[in-house]
Amino acid sequence: MDDLNLLRDLGRELEHEPPASLAHQRRRLLDPSARSRSARAGGSRRTRTWAMVALAAGLTAAVVTVPTVLLSGSGTGRPAGSLTEAGVEAPTGPLNLLLIGSDTREGANAKYGPRMADYPGRSDTLVLVHLAADRKSAEAVSIPRDSMVRIPECRTGDGKKAPAHVGMINSAYADGGLACARKTMETLTGVTVDYAMAIDFSGFKDMIDALGGVEITVPKAVDDPKAKLRMPAGRQVLNGEQALGYARLRYALGDGSDLSRIKRQQVLMRGIIKKAAGLPTDPVRLPAFLKAVQASVKTEPGLNVEEMVALARGLAGMKPSDTRFVTIPWTPYSEDPNRVSWKQPEADQLFKRIASDSR
Amino acid sequence: MVHPLTALPANPVRDADLIGESRTDPEAFAVLFDRYSRMLYRYVSQRLGPEVAEDLVGETFLIAFARRDRYDAAYPDARPWLFGIVTKLVSRHRRTEAARYRALLRTPADDVVDSPADRVAAGVTARSARPALARALAALPARDRDVLLLFAWGDLSYEEVARALDIPIGTVRSRLNRARKKVRAALGNTDPMHEEA
Repeated sequence: MDDLNLLRDLGRELEHEPPASLAHQRRRLLDPSARSRSARAGGSRRTRTWAMVALAAGLTAAVVTVPTVLLSGSGTGRPAGSLTEAGVEAPTGPLNLLLIGSDTREGANAKYGPRMADYPGRSDTLVLVHLAADRKSAEAVSIPRDSMVRIPECRTGDGKKAPAHVGMINSAYADGGLACARKTMETLTGVTVDYAMAIDFSGFKDMIDALGGVEITVPKAVDDPKAKLRMPAGRQVLNGEQALGYARLRYALGDGSDLSRIKRQQVLMRGIIKKAAGLPTDPVRLPAFLKAVQASVKTEPGLNVEEMVALARGLAGMKPSDTRFVTIPWTPYSEDPNRVSWKQPEADQLFKRIASDSR
Repeated sequence: MVHPLTALPANPVRDADLIGESRTDPEAFAVLFDRYSRMLYRYVSQRLGPEVAEDLVGETFLIAFARRDRYDAAYPDARPWLFGIVTKLVSRHRRTEAARYRALLRTPADDVVDSPADRVAAGVTARSARPALARALAALPARDRDVLLLFAWGDLSYEEVARALDIPIGTVRSRLNRARKKVRAALGNTDPMHEEA
């Protein structure tokens, strides 16, 4: 085999397939204002994307790993049999989960965003995760939190009824909690949301620490005093704090755009998922991990450990590469270019596909 | 196997005509994007990794669009022009590229890219030769590496490389020969065919 062939082989090995998001660049080309827009909207997008990492981690961790471990009975001292006896059956058929990353910046979270103190309300991230009936594939559709949508009538925290109105999709969660977020998604998409789950920022950090860190390849040395983050290039293990910092990094890598950040976060997510896969056989880290999950994940309808086990029973064999990450097709909202509206008919087609569990 | 870069678009409208048309109708330029953005993405992902590829491809088309008035309509195929722009942008990421090759020296394949299973099989031979290749690529002068990779990974001909880099074809030949010689020398130190087992 000659040098050129070897080189071409190496090229093929290094090559990545273009993601669907490449279409954003087409939009950038045709709409010069899109460029300045993305710069303006950067603030909110940043919080959205780090939270997506938290969600992906939370999803895999909470839904896949924890229950799998409990099911096998290893490391917990709990006989696996008791779960079966509890009579909780694994749900079959397609399963849809709505994941919400809450960015409350309260309590333990406050230290991650002191400059966000005057931020109006809470910002959150929404990801609709669809698990195929055969549990061989999953799709994670991330939904911009500033999507303008019709929010149905919901019961608010103080028990009053809030009338239906048009607003930012994340206000559904802020006003009416998980139940309202779930109802809103179902109304908008026609997809049955089996469970809604919320996870917070500090919980994400704790989970990574409980995993013993996450190993990734950092393509370029980082020294960002703003993020208080320094790391050499190459393969390394990040702790929870560093992983969070890396996910949120703005300027030290890439060109500071949201797109390069998303790519970085996807690398991180794969690392997390890979690491979480090893957890079932690690009795030392397991208890700390379970604690982090319990403390930071809320579900609707409420799930106890047994039910989570049941939920995840069919997922044990799923690999990180089986999950597809996409963003819902969107366009600038006509009345305010700093908001987005879902692009039709593409968005509806996407949800129709999910509702019918077809690829 | 049809290499993705050699698969020509079915659409018969020449690139040069699209570029001419885009002077009055900017939308026509989007057709060019649809034709070549994926190809360019793959190339950039090879040299710099997927993290920067998407933005860099977007940047390439923005620059191309801004310069569309200066396109020489005598060349129907716009690929060399676009690869030329990409090459300039890639050179701004020299440290990223160097780090990428360095990373190849010490990590197994599936940690750097999540390659589909079919590629894993094809990559077995390359994998054993990879450290030597990575070292050689990292050590090449940038101008030689540009020629070598446009030829090997970008799948451009000598003439197209010359046009992309705006250098005489004789220079393409000499740079390519020099680069290949160094790569072969680096490979000589290992014997990839015997490391496969």
